[in-house]
Amino acid sequence: MPPTTIRPPTATEPPVVAGVVLVVEDEVLLRLVIAEYLRDCGYKVIEAADADEAMLVLQQPQFAVDVLFSDIEMPGSLDGFGLSQWTRSNCPQVDVILAGSVPRAVNAAADLCEAGTVPKPYEPHHVHDRIRRLLATRRAAKGTKRD
Amino acid sequence: MLASEAELKPDRPTVLVVEDEILIRLLVADTLRNQGIYVLEAANAAEALTIIESALPVHVLFTDIRLPGRMDGIGLSKLVRDRRPQIKLIVASSDLPPGYIRQTADVFIFKPYDLGAMVHQVETLLAQSGHAPDHN
Repeated sequence: MPPTTIRPPTATEPPVVAGVVLVVEDEVLLRLVIAEYLRDCGYKVIEAADADEAMLVLQQPQFAVDVLFSDIEMPGSLDGFGLSQWTRSNCPQVDVILAGSVPRAVNAAADLCEAGTVPKPYEPHHVHDRIRRLLATRRAAKGTKRD
Repeated sequence: MLASEAELKPDRPTVLVVEDEILIRLLVADTLRNQGIYVLEAANAAEALTIIESALPVHVLFTDIRLPGRMDGIGLSKLVRDRRPQIKLIVASSDLPPGYIRQTADVFIFKPYDLGAMVHQVETLLAQSGHAPDHN
């Protein structure tokens, strides 16, 4: 069977990526919906099912993650708080947004992420709005430094 | 309740990739997305079954044989073949699988992947299911 030559992205495909977002969510149906929404908004989205997968991605410089969007309540070695703290220590250039449904946890998370928290259940456009504002702030800061 | 865009686009060619090694899953998913194929990702068989049992359309299931958890790729393939016989099956492994899984699956491919051949296999099965990707 002849192997197919992989076609490069065509001129009709969006050449510019708005940013790279790592979505960490253990509920697969929630994860794929928010991931698809953000892809439609122009972001490159990487999906991780738990903190261990997320940390593996964050340690790969080629992915150049801009924003980590993580659920707070997750099974595994770290929950969203732990992942946020790990990211702060190991990848300080990555902005963090946490999402949670427990009010106490949401309040605690406010200290751990730049854009505050997103209460669950969330609307995808609210998440997009947070990400857009974070990236705009980052670009503005870079512009200020250059000046 | 989140509205799923996927439910609004039932005819687009859709592949469910099931792979527990995230870097490999990303490589496969990104390669297929770059060919205009809609990709759903699952990290294990339980996530894959959640998607299969949902309203989301899936035309090709692409699964690794070795998966963590209570069900591996062989069990997943059997279950999907029984419950959703219209879904085309690709199973992948670094070892030759048992004969019955080679007979159950539409395609068996070896790891590490030849990405060009992988895309060809996926597109062939999508075309057979009546959902060939549109490259125009």
